[in-house]
Amino acid sequence: MVSKTEEAQVNRLENQVDNGGGGAWEYLCLVRKLKLRRSDKVLKHGLSILNDPSKRSSLGHEEWTLYEQVAIAAMDCQCLDVAKGCINVLQKKFPGSKRVGRLEAMLLEAKGSWAEAGKAYSSLLEDNALDQVIHKRRAAMEKAQGNLSGAIECLNKYLEIFMADHDAWRELAEIYVSLQMYKQAAFCYEELILSQPTNPLCHLAYADVLYTVGGLENLQAAKKYYASVIDLTGGKNTRALFGICLCTCAIGQLTKGRNKEEKESLELQSLAATALEKDYKQIAPSKLSLLRSTLKSLKLA
Amino acid sequence: MGGELRYEIGQTAYIKLVLHALKHKTAAVNGVLLGRLSDGDAVEIADAVPLFHSHLGLLPPLEIALLQIEEYYGAQGMAIVGYFHANERFNDFELSNVARNIGDHVHRYFPQAALLLLDSKKLEALPKGKDRSPVMQLYTKDSSKSWKQVGSDGSSRFSIKEPSANIVLLDYISTQKMQDMVDFDDHLDDISKDWLNPELGK
Repeated sequence: MVSKTEEAQVNRLENQVDNGGGGAWEYLCLVRKLKLRRSDKVLKHGLSILNDPSKRSSLGHEEWTLYEQVAIAAMDCQCLDVAKGCINVLQKKFPGSKRVGRLEAMLLEAKGSWAEAGKAYSSLLEDNALDQVIHKRRAAMEKAQGNLSGAIECLNKYLEIFMADHDAWRELAEIYVSLQMYKQAAFCYEELILSQPTNPLCHLAYADVLYTVGGLENLQAAKKYYASVIDLTGGKNTRALFGICLCTCAIGQLTKGRNKEEKESLELQSLAATALEKDYKQIAPSKLSLLRSTLKSLKLA
Repeated sequence: MGGELRYEIGQTAYIKLVLHALKHKTAAVNGVLLGRLSDGDAVEIADAVPLFHSHLGLLPPLEIALLQIEEYYGAQGMAIVGYFHANERFNDFELSNVARNIGDHVHRYFPQAALLLLDSKKLEALPKGKDRSPVMQLYTKDSSKSWKQVGSDGSSRFSIKEPSANIVLLDYISTQKMQDMVDFDDHLDDISKDWLNPELGK
């Protein structure tokens, strides 16, 4: 999960490099740091450095890191020859290296040779049972073959050992959502909120899942989590503002005839509605009337 | 009901959906189809709105999207006539539960609803041949209440209105037009982005 500012920064750099303004190495480092998947750009710009001897030598020791990054990007783009080329260079430089061995196993994976890749990963794990990347590649292979329950099993086993891996919790949650296993997805987001209580995106995903499951208690909880997203983002999150309106409407429908709930909930909804109208007026005026009728239909429940 | 109905998709709608899928190659994406029933014997898909490229199974963004889309197109005499889905994996031709559920919802309001699934193998083969048929599979809900594929025998029940649509599509792909596609996810993250994609409507 990348913040808006980080995403803007990387996009700006990407534009700059795309248009010949330099900064390729900076861009590649940022993509690596933020763990983004922009393989076609990484491949293009990484190769432009690697194929130029003077640019390559100016990297010093980082040259090998770039070979690894480009190899992985090439595999993602199915440019397996390029990947093989990079891996060969690394093999020559670091003979017998486990890290290079991992790349070789990934290449088998990219070719679709699942059984061989699985064997390679297993033997690598024998020497280093705590290699997180390899554990996760096994889950990825299950997913790639369409075996989502296998991927779920792998990830759950992995998370029993490496319970602080946020990316894995998020991946597992997303798989659960795609299978409409919302309660299990909620559990994952709960873990994420516990470890990253100030990350609004976790609260938002959790609220969305709670709303999707439905029922009065979940809707009330969802509303609280949307409220905390608004709190954490200074009111700037459109999804959370809409979320408040949706929750209030749904809660209203479920508690029709009961007076207690209605008074406190309407205030929050009208604040959210006002904030949305203000934003749309300023930033998306052509959609303002659509927004107003959407809000109207949500209030009329 | 869904007997011998023909389904015709306009070039704009068709291209929007495919470009959206190509913009997010590593994810499942979806969209809604807008149009009308014409002369009682054909469903005309006149436009499409790309919806999401992440967390397709969550309700809140979907509900907001449908409210706005129904309002906008309703004013133009169009209704939601179908749903488009592209799976995450290349050779996955299964209709996921999410696709079926959203399809069911659309079907409740429009019984002749079309459920379109991206055919990535056909899409990949496009530059190599002169295929004019859509790179999608069409499913409708028949009287047995399950989604069945239509026209897989090459019949002409599902076609693109403009015969040169695939050529235009290939041209757009080569000029990286997919980067300009805006879906509802993008709009919710930045409301200045327009999910109507007006430039692509020309």
